[in-house]
Amino acid sequence: MMSDQNIIDGCIRHDRKAQQVLWKQYSGYLLGVCLRYATDRPEAEDMLQEAFLRIYFNLGEYSGTGSFKGWLRKVTVNTAITYYHRNLRHKHHTDIDDYVNAETGSRGFEEDFYTAEDLYRVLNELSPGYRMVFNLYTIEGYKHQEIAEMLGIDVNTSKSQYSRARAILRKKLEDLAKLKGVYT
Amino acid sequence: MTEEEKDTDLGNLFRNKLEENEMVAGSDLTGRFMRRLDRREFLRFNPARFNIWYLAAAAAGLTVAGILFFTSPRNRAEVPGNQIPQPEMTAVAVNKDETDSRQNDSTTPEVTETKTASATVKAEAAPGGVTDRPGAINTPAGAAENDITVKSIGQNAASEPLTSAPTAFIKASVRTGCVPLHVRFTSPGTEGFTTVWSFGDGGSSSVNNPDYIYDLPGIYEVTLTVTDTRGRLGRATIKIEAWARPKASFEISQNNQLNDDDKVLFINLSSGAVQFLWNFGDGTFSTLSDPSYKYRQPGRYDVTLTAYSENGCADSLTINDVFTDKASFIRFPNAFMPNTGGPTGGYYNQLTDMDNQVFHPVASGIASYNLKIYSKAGLMVFESSDMEIGWDGYYKGQICSPGVYVWKLRGTYRNGQQIVMAGDVILLNY
Repeated sequence: MMSDQNIIDGCIRHDRKAQQVLWKQYSGYLLGVCLRYATDRPEAEDMLQEAFLRIYFNLGEYSGTGSFKGWLRKVTVNTAITYYHRNLRHKHHTDIDDYVNAETGSRGFEEDFYTAEDLYRVLNELSPGYRMVFNLYTIEGYKHQEIAEMLGIDVNTSKSQYSRARAILRKKLEDLAKLKGVYT
Repeated sequence: MTEEEKDTDLGNLFRNKLEENEMVAGSDLTGRFMRRLDRREFLRFNPARFNIWYLAAAAAGLTVAGILFFTSPRNRAEVPGNQIPQPEMTAVAVNKDETDSRQNDSTTPEVTETKTASATVKAEAAPGGVTDRPGAINTPAGAAENDITVKSIGQNAASEPLTSAPTAFIKASVRTGCVPLHVRFTSPGTEGFTTVWSFGDGGSSSVNNPDYIYDLPGIYEVTLTVTDTRGRLGRATIKIEAWARPKASFEISQNNQLNDDDKVLFINLSSGAVQFLWNFGDGTFSTLSDPSYKYRQPGRYDVTLTAYSENGCADSLTINDVFTDKASFIRFPNAFMPNTGGPTGGYYNQLTDMDNQVFHPVASGIASYNLKIYSKAGLMVFESSDMEIGWDGYYKGQICSPGVYVWKLRGTYRNGQQIVMAGDVILLNY
């Protein structure tokens, strides 16, 4: 078992073994991150590869302060943002149309009820802009001001996209719950 | 459940399920990625990974050059200039792009320099009247090199371009970091040469691969000079940025000694920091600059403050045993003088009451409390289960006669310890 520091040093030397170990140890975790930002699995895999290339060639910039895993995640999220900007030009936006007023059920969301796959699926179905803002705000913990700067959008856009993303996710999860209720 | 709670709930669901979730990157994906990485490494030309592929590429280049040379005799003079450098130029261009995205990378100039050198060698090896051409090859490569911050310069390149002037490369284990910054410098390919390092802060070394520690923050220009056996020089420079570390410091307000219901105030005295993380020692954290915190249980806590600078440099300070059980105590005075103006009801404030007209304990950390006071005759003149109320010296509206009274206390501290105490108190002449 190599320590993180050994792996980092090895990768800086372009040591193949260390590169493989880094991939082996963190690709699963970072793939989980990419899946949150992607439309589908192939896109997530593409994103992951790009993130790892960045990681290998920029390891020298990791200062050693703060958790290594956190740094890896940050690079990956930045890659996802780059990806988002690049794809913005090609993809048609359907932000307004898929906004549904969520009817409010009475109960909250049982964690055991949904699998990680379920959550990835509802996230993947969101439009890229909503997904981006939701991820950055809810899971990465950025503030709307920071998100607006990162994505080059208005603060209010970030806020409204976030609240719409939430409404859509809620609706989707409740639908899914009904569906599961039928079949189980 | 309100809308707001539902939203928090939704956030928690995604955070808990997905934040640390790991997926499996299949062997197929792994294979694809490793091949992609290999291609990228190849294009970046890394001496550490020099292998048969570079030799093969060089051989292929020579072969193509040879074929072109022999098949187009009319273009004799142009061939080496136009054809050979092309693959090299693409490689340089690729590296240049990478440099823009990652500023200050030391590996890039190594690449460029080596490429130029190999182009020169190839031109020399190509048959027939080509030796006067390397200048043409060098020029575009040299132009492409201009943007690169770190340069390695062969001193004699101008006068003797075809013989090998020593080339200096610097590799640093880190380029930026917090002081004390430990940097491991290496200079691959300079074995057998004399190396002189100057670390930019007055320090120097003649070791091949020195370790150096920067104690003070600043931007340092590190220079490596290599001298080969024939006295020719090669030089390379690189910048190292050492960041200042913040100083974590704090004090704890002491006014909580008596009244343990107060929040504890933490006074932040840190310098050079923009972010803070407090660990109150009971599993609770705060990121405020000057937090106040109310402990649920009296006890001993180690409080740690970690201060972070803009660059993420950290410093932390721990104060051990911030609150000991001394916070749980009870003491009684042994004399008091009632107010003769009439019963006061016995209300008091133990922090501000200096009149000594009410008999009451000074205490902290009390969970339950029952005080009984008897006269010498055995009559119970006072009972209270309320810490806020002491004895004002009256019994049924009548002031009691001066003399000795006996009290008995039963109760518990918050830490669960039982209290049983008894004593006497003198009601002074009024």
